Amino acid sequence: MNLSTDIWVWVGVFLTFCIYSFLYRDNPFYKFGEHLFVGVSNAFTLSFMVHRIIIPILVRPFTEAWRTAGSEGLSAGLFNPYAPSNFLVIIPGVIGCFYFARFIPGLTWLVRIPIALFMGYYVGRSVPAYLEGSVFPQMRGTMLTQASFDPAQGGILGGIFALLVLVGVIGTLTYFFFSKEHKGVVKWGAQTGIVFVMVGFGASFGFTVMARVSLAIGRFIFILRDALGIVT
Amino acid sequence: MNWERLLKIDRRVIFLTMALAIILPLLFPIRLTMGVQRVTRNLFQAVEAIDPARQCLLISTDYTPQTEPENHPMAKALMRHGFARRVPVLVNALYVEGAPLIDQAITEVMGDFNARATSREDSILYGRDIVYLGWQPPPIVPILAMGESITGIYPDDYYGNRTDSLEVMRRIRNYADVGIVVAITPLSSPLWYVQFAQTKYGVKVGAGCTAVCAPDFYPYCATGQLSGMMAGMKGAAEYEELVEQKYRTGGRLKATEGMASQSAAHVLIMVFVILGNVAYFAMRRKS
Repeated sequence: MNLSTDIWVWVGVFLTFCIYSFLYRDNPFYKFGEHLFVGVSNAFTLSFMVHRIIIPILVRPFTEAWRTAGSEGLSAGLFNPYAPSNFLVIIPGVIGCFYFARFIPGLTWLVRIPIALFMGYYVGRSVPAYLEGSVFPQMRGTMLTQASFDPAQGGILGGIFALLVLVGVIGTLTYFFFSKEHKGVVKWGAQTGIVFVMVGFGASFGFTVMARVSLAIGRFIFILRDALGIVT
Repeated sequence: MNWERLLKIDRRVIFLTMALAIILPLLFPIRLTMGVQRVTRNLFQAVEAIDPARQCLLISTDYTPQTEPENHPMAKALMRHGFARRVPVLVNALYVEGAPLIDQAITEVMGDFNARATSREDSILYGRDIVYLGWQPPPIVPILAMGESITGIYPDDYYGNRTDSLEVMRRIRNYADVGIVVAITPLSSPLWYVQFAQTKYGVKVGAGCTAVCAPDFYPYCATGQLSGMMAGMKGAAEYEELVEQKYRTGGRLKATEGMASQSAAHVLIMVFVILGNVAYFAMRRKS
């Protein structure tokens, strides 16, 4: 045994036990660990945001532009959005501050402006990217073509897997097709689909178990190796 | 057999059994043979294909401390692979909470390499062999902007240095100089790189994901949109093994350390599932 002399390792061990104590039952130690985690995460994110984003990207360019304008007078360069010091940064800064307008009765409508800009930007960027990067290539990947039987793709076996994917996709879509009663061919399609859906759930469950066990292993390695020095 | 009693077993007994299944293989290690999945091998090959003279490896570390046991070994294994091949490594973070973790990983892996180095050429130097670009929100912005200029969206690195003053950044300008982006994450960031960076700039993308996300990414590996993937701690262990087999980089292989416990825990869960089902059907027949 080679006990760690680092105080922070023992703080980590204590907090690990605080959180795991929930497995026995809810208790004040768990609550302490949970609240500490939420508080520290938020404080860390906020301070990081202020020092790495708000000051260098918003405050510093504006104050430097202000100083330059004071000493040398206004110039077109101070309104160049690509310049390291410029007045234009105040526009997104003010729009961002509109988020806080929800706390001022009578001005709450202002909050719609940043939300609208944010949503507009993301929807405009995301929809074509999603279609181009996910929907179309994945549809293409589902098609059964001669290339599916190409020796480089696994030959006959690759073709059989491609066929299986095609059957699975059509079956699952049929299962979730609710505009027609599940009778006859539709019923067969839906029943095939449910088999694939169940296999999918099983795979997801297996992967989830693996992930949760991995997290527990990480904590036990930390306790046994880093803190207690029992395992090498 | 008293099936009813088995079905009413206290959940805390199960937790305790699970803890033992994890702890015992750590205390009494056994070496298990480990197969390497094709997706992990493909990722390894994609990193092998990078031309060190003109390209770099970009590791997008998009994880937080919650998934450290799964994601952290992936980042370290990739750095080891890059350093062993003398491929410049750029590291960025799309989530702020994980940023200091990455700093720790860089220090550890650089330390391992430099402890064995005999000359300046052998050593791993910050600015020449690796740059930690840090964090820049929101994720979509740096992903898109790196297609134009990496130093433009990351003017300062994590440590406050001007990125355009760093040696390696004089030749790495944008995605055209990136051999592959490997996004390590418990979320969907590999898909963001596929949707925003690959479609527009044609950069290769790989994934290192938690096991929970893996089923979402397999279809993208099948279509070739993802060049390869490390799935969960097992994927990280496979990658560690591949790097170790080829380059003997040494250092701590944290994911590999946990594989015996992982197997023991999985066997235990399978036993629980089978026992639970047998007991359920036995009780149903009885009633």
